[in-house]
Amino acid sequence: MMQLFGKSAELQLEKDVSTRYLPVVISAMIFLAALSIGGLFSLNNAINDWSETLTGNLTVEIAFDPTADLDQKVLDAVELLTNTPGVAAARAIERDETLKLLEPFLGKNTALGDLPVPRLIEVIIAQDSAIDLAALNDKLSESVAGARLDIHRPWLDKMVLLGRSIQLLAATIMLLIGGVTVIIVIFAVRTGLIMHSEVIQVLHLIGARDNYIAEQFQNYFSRLSFLGALPGLVVAIIVMFVFNFLVGSLEASMLPPLSVGIEGIIALLLLPILVALLTKYTVRLVVLKSLGRMM
Amino acid sequence: MVRFENVGMRYGLGPEVLRDINFHLRPGSFHFLTGPTGAGKSSLLKLLALSHRPSRGLITLFNKEVSGLARDDLPAMRRKIGVVFQDFRLLDHLSALENVALPLKIAGAKNAQIYQHVAELLEWVGLGRQVDAKPPTLSGGEKQRVAIARAVINRPQLLIADEPTGSMDAEMGLRLMYLFQELNKIGTTVVVATHDLELIKRFGNPVMYLKDGLLTTSGPEQSPAQSGRAET
Ligand SMILES: Nc1ncnc2c1ncn2[C@@H]1O[C@H](COP(=O)(O)OP(=O)(O)OP(=O)(O)O)[C@@H](O)[C@H]1O
Ligand SMILES: [Mg+2]
Repeated sequence: MMQLFGKSAELQLEKDVSTRYLPVVISAMIFLAALSIGGLFSLNNAINDWSETLTGNLTVEIAFDPTADLDQKVLDAVELLTNTPGVAAARAIERDETLKLLEPFLGKNTALGDLPVPRLIEVIIAQDSAIDLAALNDKLSESVAGARLDIHRPWLDKMVLLGRSIQLLAATIMLLIGGVTVIIVIFAVRTGLIMHSEVIQVLHLIGARDNYIAEQFQNYFSRLSFLGALPGLVVAIIVMFVFNFLVGSLEASMLPPLSVGIEGIIALLLLPILVALLTKYTVRLVVLKSLGRMM
Repeated sequence: MVRFENVGMRYGLGPEVLRDINFHLRPGSFHFLTGPTGAGKSSLLKLLALSHRPSRGLITLFNKEVSGLARDDLPAMRRKIGVVFQDFRLLDHLSALENVALPLKIAGAKNAQIYQHVAELLEWVGLGRQVDAKPPTLSGGEKQRVAIARAVINRPQLLIADEPTGSMDAEMGLRLMYLFQELNKIGTTVVVATHDLELIKRFGNPVMYLKDGLLTTSGPEQSPAQSGRAET
């Protein structure tokens, strides 16, 4: 750490007015990057949740009908399904469980007990079986009135596709932020090199290696980046908390709260270090390349 | 030690400020370089200091041909050369002490050793009370002495001084010339550019005379104009 944050003793880069804007810009960049990371990881977790609950499963829905014996209908349907080749298992989902599944869409506190909730049967398809879902649907609705085979896949696929697209967008934004940061750093370093060319020349003439000079630049600039990154990150984390609070206070919401998970938290905390390293190596490259052109 | 063969030099696309320079300096020699203003003395010293490249010809320093050197070899070579620039080139934000210590620091010496040594040298050149002063607050002669101290601090094998005594009184000038002479006695090769004919006469070292970018070398007793090209 000492090495990383050492002072630029001879070049006195600290006194340059021209590089003072850098932490502010880095701060804004890190703010955006942190939000992107937040979105990226939350979506990833959400997609995994959806997939887990819904993959490989079909649901049979039996329409609510106050006059019929729904329990009997469920039993009939389960029996029919279990005897269908290609179906590995069929299980009636209890009413409480159904309500729980609906919770994210309807909210927690609603008096769901009185709602005309359909009865559901979870159907697990045997692996490698070619089952004719349309025929199964026909057969079901014939023998059990109001029963309908609900295929989640298309809906799920669309949700996953949407989620992945947003993730791709977030990743692209991250790349853009990285690229812009590199460009800003390059310009700042070039300015520094020009402003200090006299001193650099003297240092060379008394025997300094390019590395010696590059280190002063890279230490100074990576310190600026790191210190600039911290407020950006803190503000982004606060914004995410506020967002979660607002989402949590909604009664019914399609929006999942942001939950970045442990990987997300690690990624967020690594952000200042990553930007410091990115700055360090960008600066090093630029300085060494431009010193190479001097005698 | 130092050998120039048909060396020419120009700044950018300008005219040649040095033409067909040929000379050879033996290790341990002490030369004056003189000539009218604008003759190219500082330019020649820039070639010696590895600050500029010749536009033609061969320069050999420490038995190595300079144009053939890799970039990585330059720092090691420059550490064997001490330079007093005509315009001093001190770092304004560093104290006199730090300026003088810089070559040692760059060469990787330990802090404790450095500062003891540097303070003694500054004391010797009469700047004992200005060790913490920054160059902008020093007089011309004081800056020049800091520059000289910086040039000699790491016991260079080749010492180049461009008008090193131009900004100070005769007495201090002599004192510093004796310093160069002492260094020369322990083997340092010295080249001093100066306009001061009194100084040249007094010390009696061989003289290189530059005029219009052309060089003639002579012993101290000859007048510069009549000399031929001598190996010294
Ligand atoms: N950086 C430069 N760019 C272009 N031309 C230069 C540069 N430095 C010196 N010259 C030119 O080179 C010629 C020689 O200059 P130089 O400084 O070597 O002379 P000098 O002998 O040291 O003079 P003085 O005794 O006044 O110090 C001059 O004509 C000068 O105009
Ligand atoms: Mg000069």
